[in-house]
Amino acid sequence: MALFSQTSHQGFQALLWKCRTFWSPSRCQQLFAVSFSSPNREKVSGFSFMTSSGTALPVDPKGTDAFPTKKKSEIDSEGEKGWDEETKEIAERKLHLSSSTGSPKKQLMSRVLLRRRFASLQPPEKPLQGEEWKRLRESFHSPEIFEEVMLNSMIKCNSPIDVAKSLLTHVAKSNGDIAYVLLVKYLALCVQRGQTSEICDVYDIMKIRFKILDSGAYNLIIRGLSNSDQWRMALTVLEEVKKIMNPSRTNYESCIRAASRHQEMNLAFELYREMLAKDLVPTLDVLQALFDFSRGMKGAELQKDLFDILLYLRENQIYPHKTFMRSIKLWFESIPGGNWRGHLTNIKTSGQCPVCNHQLEDSDLTEEEYNNLRERITKDVIHGTDTFRKTSPQEFEAFQTFVENRLPFDIVIDGLNVSHIKPRKTQCENLFDAVNCLAKKNARLLVLGRKHMLINSSNWKREIMKEMQNKAEFFFAENISEDDAFLLYATLQSGKHCKFVTRDFLRDHKACLSDSVTRHLFRKWQRGHQIVFSTSSKGEPIHFLPAFRYDVVVQTTGDTWHIPYKDTFEEKHAYQIPRKWLCIQQKW
Amino acid sequence: MQSANMFLKKIVRSSVLPFATQHGMKKDLFPLSRTLSLSLCLKQDSSCSPSEKLDLDAWKKVMKSGLQEEVGEKVSESKELSTLAGAREILEMWRRAGRSVPENISEEQLKTFMECPSKSAKKKYLKFLHLKELYKKNDKRKMEEKRERLEAKEQAPKTDETRRNSFICVWSSVMDRAYNWRAAQSMIFGQPLVFDMSYEKDMTVREVANTVKQIVLSEGCNRRSVDPFHVHFCNFKDDSLYHKEFIKHYRDAWGKLLITVTEQCYTEIFPKDKLIYLTADSPKVLKTFDHNKIYIVGSMVDKNIKTGVSLARAKRLGLETAALPLEKYLLWNSGAKNLTLDQMMHILLTLKDTGDWKKALEFVPKRKYHAFVNKPVNELKKTLNLINALKLGKRQEEVRKQFVKNYSKKLLQK
Repeated sequence: MALFSQTSHQGFQALLWKCRTFWSPSRCQQLFAVSFSSPNREKVSGFSFMTSSGTALPVDPKGTDAFPTKKKSEIDSEGEKGWDEETKEIAERKLHLSSSTGSPKKQLMSRVLLRRRFASLQPPEKPLQGEEWKRLRESFHSPEIFEEVMLNSMIKCNSPIDVAKSLLTHVAKSNGDIAYVLLVKYLALCVQRGQTSEICDVYDIMKIRFKILDSGAYNLIIRGLSNSDQWRMALTVLEEVKKIMNPSRTNYESCIRAASRHQEMNLAFELYREMLAKDLVPTLDVLQALFDFSRGMKGAELQKDLFDILLYLRENQIYPHKTFMRSIKLWFESIPGGNWRGHLTNIKTSGQCPVCNHQLEDSDLTEEEYNNLRERITKDVIHGTDTFRKTSPQEFEAFQTFVENRLPFDIVIDGLNVSHIKPRKTQCENLFDAVNCLAKKNARLLVLGRKHMLINSSNWKREIMKEMQNKAEFFFAENISEDDAFLLYATLQSGKHCKFVTRDFLRDHKACLSDSVTRHLFRKWQRGHQIVFSTSSKGEPIHFLPAFRYDVVVQTTGDTWHIPYKDTFEEKHAYQIPRKWLCIQQKW
Repeated sequence: MQSANMFLKKIVRSSVLPFATQHGMKKDLFPLSRTLSLSLCLKQDSSCSPSEKLDLDAWKKVMKSGLQEEVGEKVSESKELSTLAGAREILEMWRRAGRSVPENISEEQLKTFMECPSKSAKKKYLKFLHLKELYKKNDKRKMEEKRERLEAKEQAPKTDETRRNSFICVWSSVMDRAYNWRAAQSMIFGQPLVFDMSYEKDMTVREVANTVKQIVLSEGCNRRSVDPFHVHFCNFKDDSLYHKEFIKHYRDAWGKLLITVTEQCYTEIFPKDKLIYLTADSPKVLKTFDHNKIYIVGSMVDKNIKTGVSLARAKRLGLETAALPLEKYLLWNSGAKNLTLDQMMHILLTLKDTGDWKKALEFVPKRKYHAFVNKPVNELKKTLNLINALKLGKRQEEVRKQFVKNYSKKLLQK
């Protein structure tokens, strides 16, 4: 499997790192015995070196970009999914071990440590006889969990399944039964090695034994089957899961991927829609897969479905990353008879696309949206559960009358935020520079500050403050009040043309808004109205980056599409706005 | 090997329940309590010499061996499981898969579990129950061990010598009486300390329970102190959650507690200028403990930190506020600066008795600070930052670069 090779290789490297710990001779001996599967060795002195057991598989080069490498977390036996996977037997065993183990909380925590300690247990490379397993188990210092640990390390080292089978056989012969945990772990190994027939067998056995399975096992089965030519069976398993519980996002995504890999796009989109209906958020990987496998396919229905995905990105203000963007571009260009052409470009500050000269949507909100946002900011952000938390009713009222009497402003400045531009200069000098810089254009300014700025000090010199007050309106809030909330209010009250200046991302204020629709509105408004600044070394003391005149969001006019995308790793944060675009136009 | 495998599969497919999942309609349901019958023939020790060929699929035979009898007792087409029973089964499977799930779960807990709004909430709740169960088991085991030890002791021969002593052994009841005297005195002459019980609506049920636990602890240590506070519970509503929890803890003693419980607000009982609301968000720092002031502690546990809630209350009522001078005396390490109510009580009592900040701040959890400071903290901070920068600066940068490199590699390989 191409999917696993890379990460398992990484895993092996990590393992090598972990093994640089000091072993007690007895452990070392055991290790040695295991890694060379020679149980007859009685005395081994010195340290054994780890041998890799087929961890690095040849990578199957798939040039289609179709399979992004899996994340490590996904590989980590999905049966666990972040749950602690130590059985309660262990907890109990440890209870009996010594009374000084500490609290149960610590026991749950120590399970991770336990795993780490055993991470270096090297599974044998060939199937062993029952006797040999028995001997190994006895030499292991806590035999109760030997099988689990062994299977875990097999998964880690990607051992051949025959080895695991021999272990299961040994367990079955000595106990007459195999614990469910072991079956799940074996299943994980089978999925990892892509052994479809084994997956089916284990599934049969599990179904006979147990009424229902746990979500982890279902995850594994669906993933295993969907990666094979038996993928239709994965769909039937999904149906079964639906009867018992809500399938997880990964369940759906495995099936969607399988269906689209076999060019059953209708089925894939049916599943996709069902998934959205259940409020599951699709990963970008699966959306990318849908674009990848639809490449070169005909059908108006299919096109509409894929356009819907792009509109979904628009609705939720999601920016695709570079590889996803490439998939979108290739799909557009592969539409038979579509004549679409895609170009990568940067949009001019005027909001014009240099490739097709199309003017992008502007970032203005409609009147209704604007009023809605203003109300919500006042209600949720300023008042919240208790007006006193951010301000006080008297103060807010005073501020309201202050603003009403002096409307409209062109620029509202967060005084304290701006005053920290250059650490070398005093705060009032910084603010003075900023006000001067912005006042040049005859704009009406409002500076928001706190009362402590009025007290003469080394940071706030009275003369400079006086001079500034001739150029801009000032409002000083109480020292324990939130000035940001005032900033938003004043800007929104002033109307659409008004911008605000702060380096703050305003994330905490966005979080106060109760519903996602308003949050998206807020983001859109912020993009269009926030002026950020940076220090420039030359001449000008402050360099202002103007607010976006156009809206940075996936947009279409029917025969053009403009898609902003995240270029690199640096733009991983939600509040960072991409500046690179994919322009797609239809040429006739 | 392969052919044997195929053969086996055929046998299974024909004898065992057909794997009819064409429509996914068939579920083979057995009651979970079914005992697994073990086939005896497999229990015997297979003493095969290493040269002998290993049958790798033997385990499948074993796993399916119990089936012949079971086919008979198969439940006919399953009825739709009731949701509760279904949830119970899911939990059972999770437990088998080795997740942190409690072994026994009551109907009530199961309902709470079902009402959890999200998957992660469910997981957290189950883990909580699981831990609770472990604690219970632990305690039980310890009790048993203790009993065994005592029994062993009793069997040891006893000396029949009672020592003569001018002191009578003081029993706990006598101690209690002495404490109660003190508490009674404090009710008349003591300095008031107010617990503000008006945060119930800001808390979840579990947080309220934790709050009450902490108050019970602080009431206990107040009673044992040399010079107790006169504790007031203000804004206390009857039949509130607080009340119910208190009854749970104190049972009959609730009526006999030597504290003042009132529905009134503290502003109605005491003069406003004497009240000081203690809150970590306060801009003012407490310099000295004033014996003529009345301190207010907000009885609230906020697991998800709600900044400024108690400060807002104080602002609304126009009260003076203060925060403990943690920054001034302690080199803070990590953790929130809001302390638990019993820690507050300990600190205030120590301040009241000695006025020694160092002694009082002993009660701040040790994990939260590095050390007490003699120099002003900001100077120390600079040195610490310098040390950290020297120690970590280079390495952090390296780690970050490595991470970025790996990540971009990953992206390229897609």
